[in-house]
Amino acid sequence: MIKLLASRTFFQSVLIINSLIVLLPVLFLFNSSLRESNEFARTPFALARDPFWENYQRVWSEGEFGSYFINSLVITGGSLILILILALGAGFVLGRYTFKGNNIIFAFILTGMLVPAKLAILPLFIQLKWMNLLDSRLGLILVYTSAALPAAIFIMSGFFKSLPTDLDNAARIDGASEFKLLSKVLVPLVRPGMAIVAIYSAIPIWNDFFLPLVFLQSPEKKTLMQGLTVFFGQYASQWGVLFAGLCLAALPLVVLYLILSEQFIKGLTAGAVKG
Amino acid sequence: MKISKIRGLVAALFAAVTVVAPGASIASANTEITFWSWRTEDKAFYESQIKLFEAKNPGITVKFTPYLNTEYNAIVATALTAGKGPDVIQMRPYGGMANLSDAGNFMPLTTAEVPALKKLPAGILAGAQGYKDKKQYGLPYAVSALGVMYNPDILEKAGVRALPQTWAQLQTAFNKVKKAGFLPLGNAGGNGPALEQLHATVGPTFYGGTAFFNDVVAGKKTFTDKGYVASLKAVADLAKWMPANYQGIDYNTARGLFANEKAAFYIGGNYEIGYFRSLNPSITIGWFPAPKANAGAKRYVGTWADGAYAINAKTTQKAAALKLINFLGTKEFGQALVDEIAFIPTAPYVKINDPAVKEINRWRTTLGTPFLNVVGFRFENPTSSSILQPGFQKLIVGGTTPEQLAKDVQTAVASWYAPQKGKS
Amino acid sequence: MSSALRREQNRTIGTLLIPALAVIIIFTTVPALTTLSYAFFSWDGFQRNTFAGFENFQKLFAYPYLDQLVAALRHNTIAFVVIMTFQTSLGLLFAYAMFRVKRGLRFYRVVVFLPVIFSLVVVGYLWQSLLDPYYGPINQIITGLGVPDLAKPWLGDTSTALPTLMFINLWRWVGFPAIVFLAGLNAINSEYIEAARIDGASEGQIFRKIIFPLLAPSLTIITVLTFIGAYEWFDLPFVIGGSNGSPAGATDTLALMFYRLSFGSIDSGANNVGVGSALGVLIFTLVGLGAAFGSALLRRREVEQ
Repeated sequence: MIKLLASRTFFQSVLIINSLIVLLPVLFLFNSSLRESNEFARTPFALARDPFWENYQRVWSEGEFGSYFINSLVITGGSLILILILALGAGFVLGRYTFKGNNIIFAFILTGMLVPAKLAILPLFIQLKWMNLLDSRLGLILVYTSAALPAAIFIMSGFFKSLPTDLDNAARIDGASEFKLLSKVLVPLVRPGMAIVAIYSAIPIWNDFFLPLVFLQSPEKKTLMQGLTVFFGQYASQWGVLFAGLCLAALPLVVLYLILSEQFIKGLTAGAVKG
Repeated sequence: MKISKIRGLVAALFAAVTVVAPGASIASANTEITFWSWRTEDKAFYESQIKLFEAKNPGITVKFTPYLNTEYNAIVATALTAGKGPDVIQMRPYGGMANLSDAGNFMPLTTAEVPALKKLPAGILAGAQGYKDKKQYGLPYAVSALGVMYNPDILEKAGVRALPQTWAQLQTAFNKVKKAGFLPLGNAGGNGPALEQLHATVGPTFYGGTAFFNDVVAGKKTFTDKGYVASLKAVADLAKWMPANYQGIDYNTARGLFANEKAAFYIGGNYEIGYFRSLNPSITIGWFPAPKANAGAKRYVGTWADGAYAINAKTTQKAAALKLINFLGTKEFGQALVDEIAFIPTAPYVKINDPAVKEINRWRTTLGTPFLNVVGFRFENPTSSSILQPGFQKLIVGGTTPEQLAKDVQTAVASWYAPQKGKS
Repeated sequence: MSSALRREQNRTIGTLLIPALAVIIIFTTVPALTTLSYAFFSWDGFQRNTFAGFENFQKLFAYPYLDQLVAALRHNTIAFVVIMTFQTSLGLLFAYAMFRVKRGLRFYRVVVFLPVIFSLVVVGYLWQSLLDPYYGPINQIITGLGVPDLAKPWLGDTSTALPTLMFINLWRWVGFPAIVFLAGLNAINSEYIEAARIDGASEGQIFRKIIFPLLAPSLTIITVLTFIGAYEWFDLPFVIGGSNGSPAGATDTLALMFYRLSFGSIDSGANNVGVGSALGVLIFTLVGLGAAFGSALLRRREVEQ
């Protein structure tokens, strides 16, 4: 009995230490974002007693964060919509139909997960140029969608497979077309899967800075993370402003995460956890 | 209506349209040109100059976008290849953009279209010419010079009465500053290019300045020459005067140390002065050329045409772009360059009032020597810079020796530079 | 089934499956295969030149690229070994801790996983600031604790740069294996554990004999993903060390080298697409073989349990 308690205390301490290691840098970041830059340089540790909100103001107006934010939203949102539509269709067909080639196509799609967009960046660049999709948010959306589809289809087909087959037969007997079967009967039942796909796909897209760096040239199309790298070049040494920029960039996802932490955790580890 | 009358009416309408239409388009058109640069430090300066340009040229708006220095080349290269490059491009000097100019991305400039080119000497013009064809692709706008910047207030407090003329005197000055509780040197090791500039400042007196440069370019001497090795060693010897933990101190923090008056000296280019002043408007900055290695050696001021303005070969706004380039070549712009960001403009007849810049300009004309790596050896891979930049980072922590580093540079250059091929 | 249904199903396959396949083929498969083909041509900047056979591969294994390649490969391998050992073990530790602890579980789960949602740009800059040798709080704390010698320039010293980078990577990623293992732990039938406890087995024995073997599937996934991540390591080194793997190439990775070769670097801007693509082929092969091999090996272990 004593041993058990002692063990629990040990594990509690482990988790408390981890919490400190995770939260202290984050709190430091937030605190420093509210300090005036020169003051920070002198005393990095002091608490921001008089919050210097001007840092955030500067980031928003001078740093053009408003437009970066919207671009990120458009690109992530657009990709999500496309991913969900395509993954629903493909997941349904692969998960519920038996036909020759089902397994091969499925395996082929899965190998797509092994190819990071980065390594194919040059052909992608030249290909998009040829398709006139360079410096275009649509081009970026298509590339992100393609990169996210293998995992998305994998997850969705798993969900579709798990639904009872009687549903299909019942719907067909009622005269429903295949399409209606999918849209009216099955889709509502795989909503948890859709939520998982949405989260699993959206976060790497929102956080990505590399593809926009290569594919978006016009300053007004820049995404948040890409804008952050440019921002850092311009405001080097103005610590308060830099930290405010970091906080603003991280804020949307953090807020979403805190509200939906359950779904986030399930979503992001979905590819790794079977079933 | 009679046919002839209809014809007449049509003719009149046609004439009216052709006369009115271009006029209408001039009146309503607002040409926008884009202008890219790697100088995020100078954003405010360019934007104020652009306002002046736009006032003089109603109907043209200029969108200026600076990019992070380290990624500028990659960003410009991809943009130009994508056909989405800017109209006016700040161009790296000499080989810095050789592959881009070779690929035909820049529009050759003629003296007819850009009269300012006529007034520039050949050595300066060379900084913006193609590597394979010697066409003029850019208008060089500034000359940079390397030297030792110092804070007169700190020197006074430390009891340094005379400016060091020899290497030994420099060490003495460093020592005095250190004893007085200040940092002798703001320079640090976190940034390869900054170390390369440090070497280019203090090195020439050790390796023999312009004579050595000419010999290496001609293949008569190699980088393993005793003098060059000594110049590398000089950089290693400076490490003991750098701030604590200098390996991890990045470029901006190092410059900040000097700007915030914690360090007495900063060794590098005159283009830093504008940045120092933006961080600390009240600072006084003095300048002297790098000291000579010993009593018998000569003093040198490393100098080169640093950057040019080029026009995208595929621009659709050639006229507007040329107007901007010509504006950037005017005496007034040159005056602003020196007054506001302490650059040494290429435009002639500019009056230099800034005492530090005056000093620099005076010395560079008599003691000038080319910045070896930038002027001579950036055209193909591996450039001497690509070996020296990480090489210096290793050197100052004892990870390599001056002899080895010199050998590495020689191997690199000999692999592509014809006059040096086969030499070691 | 009826032929009408069969026909309708075929039509549906056409409308619902083909679009997704098309997108994947156009934007993933074709570019991947094209990269392979690029390796066999010589390039002039971004313009393809003549057919060059294996020349690019020869160049990759010669001066000046060979040294960079060897160093980068070494760094990636060290990263894999270290990350596999520490990140996975810590992940398992946290997962098991959350499995055993009742109070504050929800809080710990949220906190443990929090860094995983931060963008690497944010993580990179945050830690660069924390570790700044002059202004950074970490060194100030270390000095304050009375060991100023340990207040090193962590990211600037060639001997500490890579380990520091791996530590930052761990900070950011450990939540992932933790949560995967936690899900694996929760999936274990509690009856086995209860029965073992009644039989008088110690927690340690329970872990070794029941829990760890049943976590094999999770371990497989984590191992394969870690392998892929380690050999394709790009984001964090790029944000912190730049495309040259500053300081002095101590944080260079295969992916960074690939970027340099494809797009050029600051001092010369010259790129070499041919050699870069050859490197791409190398990385593909390495990762593909490793992932397939490793997963087959680990799968076998799962089945045996």
